[in-house]
Amino acid sequence: MSRPVLQFALLMMVFFGSVRLADSSAFSITELGARSAGMATAFTSIADDGSALFYNPAGIAFQKGTQFQFDTLVVVGLFRFNPSSTPPGTVVPSNGYSGSVKPHFIPVASMFFTRRINPKWTFGFGSFAPFGLSDNFTNFHDGDPAITKFPGRFAGTRGRLEEVWFQPTIAYRLNPNSSLAVGVAWVHTHLLLEQSFLNPRTDGLDFGNETANQIFPGVDPTLAARSIARLLPEGRSRVAGTANSPGFNAGYLYKHAASKTNVGLMWRSAVVNHLNGLASFGFTSPFPLQQFVDKDLLPKAFPTQKTTGSFVTPATYAVGVSNSAFWHSLISVDFRLQDYQRFRSIPLNFSETQATNPDVRTPAEKRLFFDFRNSYQIATGFERALNPKTVVRAGYMFDRSPVVDKSVGPVFPDANRNTFSVGASRTHGDMEFTLFYQAVKFMDRTTNVDANANQFTNGLYHNFAHLMGIGLRLHKGGDSSTP
Amino acid sequence: MKKFAAGLICFIWSTLALAQQTPKLDTTSFVVVGEGLAAGLADFALRDVYQKKSFPAVMAQQMGTAFPQPLIQPPGIGSVPGFPVLPVAVPGPWQTSVRKPFPPPLFVFNLAVPGHHLVDAVNLRPVPPLVQTGDLKQTVTNLILGYPAMILGSDKPLWTQAEYAVEMNPTLVLVELGYTEALEAAVHAKPNLMPDPGTFHTNYAKLLTTLQSTYAQIITTTIPDPIDTAYFSTVAGSAQLTGRSAGTLTSRYGLKTGDLLSPDALFEIPIETTPLPAGSVTSAATAAEISDRVRALNAEITTVSKNAGAVLYDLHALFARLRTSGLSVGSYSLTANYLGGLYSLSGSYPGTTVHALIANEILTLLNQTYKTSFPLADLTTVAPNDPAVRFRPFAVPEVAQ
Repeated sequence: MSRPVLQFALLMMVFFGSVRLADSSAFSITELGARSAGMATAFTSIADDGSALFYNPAGIAFQKGTQFQFDTLVVVGLFRFNPSSTPPGTVVPSNGYSGSVKPHFIPVASMFFTRRINPKWTFGFGSFAPFGLSDNFTNFHDGDPAITKFPGRFAGTRGRLEEVWFQPTIAYRLNPNSSLAVGVAWVHTHLLLEQSFLNPRTDGLDFGNETANQIFPGVDPTLAARSIARLLPEGRSRVAGTANSPGFNAGYLYKHAASKTNVGLMWRSAVVNHLNGLASFGFTSPFPLQQFVDKDLLPKAFPTQKTTGSFVTPATYAVGVSNSAFWHSLISVDFRLQDYQRFRSIPLNFSETQATNPDVRTPAEKRLFFDFRNSYQIATGFERALNPKTVVRAGYMFDRSPVVDKSVGPVFPDANRNTFSVGASRTHGDMEFTLFYQAVKFMDRTTNVDANANQFTNGLYHNFAHLMGIGLRLHKGGDSSTP
Repeated sequence: MKKFAAGLICFIWSTLALAQQTPKLDTTSFVVVGEGLAAGLADFALRDVYQKKSFPAVMAQQMGTAFPQPLIQPPGIGSVPGFPVLPVAVPGPWQTSVRKPFPPPLFVFNLAVPGHHLVDAVNLRPVPPLVQTGDLKQTVTNLILGYPAMILGSDKPLWTQAEYAVEMNPTLVLVELGYTEALEAAVHAKPNLMPDPGTFHTNYAKLLTTLQSTYAQIITTTIPDPIDTAYFSTVAGSAQLTGRSAGTLTSRYGLKTGDLLSPDALFEIPIETTPLPAGSVTSAATAAEISDRVRALNAEITTVSKNAGAVLYDLHALFARLRTSGLSVGSYSLTANYLGGLYSLSGSYPGTTVHALIANEILTLLNQTYKTSFPLADLTTVAPNDPAVRFRPFAVPEVAQ
């Protein structure tokens, strides 16, 4: 095995070992190239490295020779939630509840490969994760007193999403100044949602209403149900599934040499993910009713079972302009729109229901509503060469959250974000090393939605994220720099 | 400097505001730990007529929360200190299932058991068989705390009051204990039957610690002074009831100033039994000692309640006020004298009007403490239907001496 192939194989192993996604919030990840991240991702009109396969695949048509590129991003998300109301007696930590995953460092890796076939055609293959999520408000053990647990646990405690695109792309040089590219991707998605259930204030009442006349005959059933709901255990549900779907990507890049101005357009399709997975349930023990009912009552009512579901990740529309005519610097601006309004709900369909087994209480369908709105990002970046080998970058991005107030909670503790980034690259022979750092300040967000009162997810969300990344670009053949 | 001062004031103000934040009250599951008073014991037994109108039941109704009770068919079960303990006969005359409704609720929230001392609330659990012919207290305990568990199978848990309360995962717990101890000491004129304050403190703290494990809000009540109840009649009051002059009673029975007469004595005076039944006269000194000891226990309840963050209602003060001032409800002028309208036939346990009054006072305390707005019971509709109000003495003409 030749050395480059061996290196490639090793790096692929590293990549697949570390695709454990987790940015925060409304699950878009835009920092998939270290160079672009240093410019706050204003890269649609630049697209001059392997990450063009993500930012604007038409960019690879201008890249000569063969390029390998590996980028790794580390996210340190600091999520805090101070509820505005809690069940009486709840002991709230002085600095609120943490939604940070453990360990705090969440790696996100990307791999890009491009090869010019001839002056007109360029082939590329990218493996990257444009969507990911990982948050964890599970600050408790199941057996802990209810009053010490995270009060919003009935709205969710843990969310995890990984959507990885394996995208071969072909780019065509229309003329010396412009190019077009199309990619077709195999999109592999994994989703996990974990939450508590049998909330004494909501779904626990269903059981209370059903049994009120048996447990408390003669008592107003509505009042009895409220008390019975408190005699139930707390349930924990976990739904996890995977999906494989097609995705599409297209881009256009125009370079006006005289004015040193580039214009780029990019479209990435929405992906409909049809999940197949498993739903599992557990219950705290003991509980007051336990010794008075069939010991298998709840395991029979909520059996582990196959589950299907579906959800849509949004399409992305990007337009960017860059110019390098002034101050020996490159300045770029991007505007991106993501039609998150496609992400309305996640229907979960259970395979075992009361219709087929009278002991079962899982419904035929449970639909989790989110009703996101469209989001947009405005990014601007700056790059300047200090010398032939060293380049520095900086950038700023505003990201409008797609998460509406009613959906802000432990799974999506999101808010509008201001991102500031810096980065640098150093070339050494055929290799280029890149570093970047981003500070992501989420605007403090206070929610007060009546419908969420019994889930105790109203309150102040105070988040911050550090993003750091490195990139390695290997260039073989053609010029050592991009055209 | 001005900025610093303004900042300091803001800080102090915000700190105070934080400290004064009103705690929240959740009444979803209201559980009562107690003895006869909270159970609704009246006249000479525990039975549904009074249970349904006991002060915890009235509170639950006004708060709009479920409050399943261990209702007992008439003529009831249990006994009242100061009166002969009847043999255990369950089911008694006119009783079928004893507990009602049938089938019974799986759990009850009024766990108060007539005759339970503080230590019983922590330690005494149901023991099979359900009816213990030689042990009335155990039988009552079984019927309240062990039913229907004892008939559902031997594997069902049999809880003490404290354990039961914890298992019900309450949001609000009311503790009314200590009155049985005080009443037993008073009716037997034996102050030393009262528990030692130190021991009482320890046991009360243990109980509240157990209940605190549920994170429920806790309401505690002080112990009423039995001497303030209608069980104890002054010589003048006795004279008025029996149609004898105070002088006649004093000379005939060798009574001293301040002596208090029990209902037993009142029953015998009209038929001129001499001497009065043993133990039916309590000396002023003994009464004072009882009162002192009740106050000592109440001091312990106050301390423990404060330490536990419980809301303390001063039931002792209410009984004292009723003794001093009586109660006017509509056209009724009720007094704390025997058959004065406030107390049932036993004299030591109140009628439904007083229960409603207690409920209103505690609800008012909750409204003040938690900024809630629970409506109060209308005493003018309660009193006309209160058997205690209707038990009034005939206007007995004074018998010529």
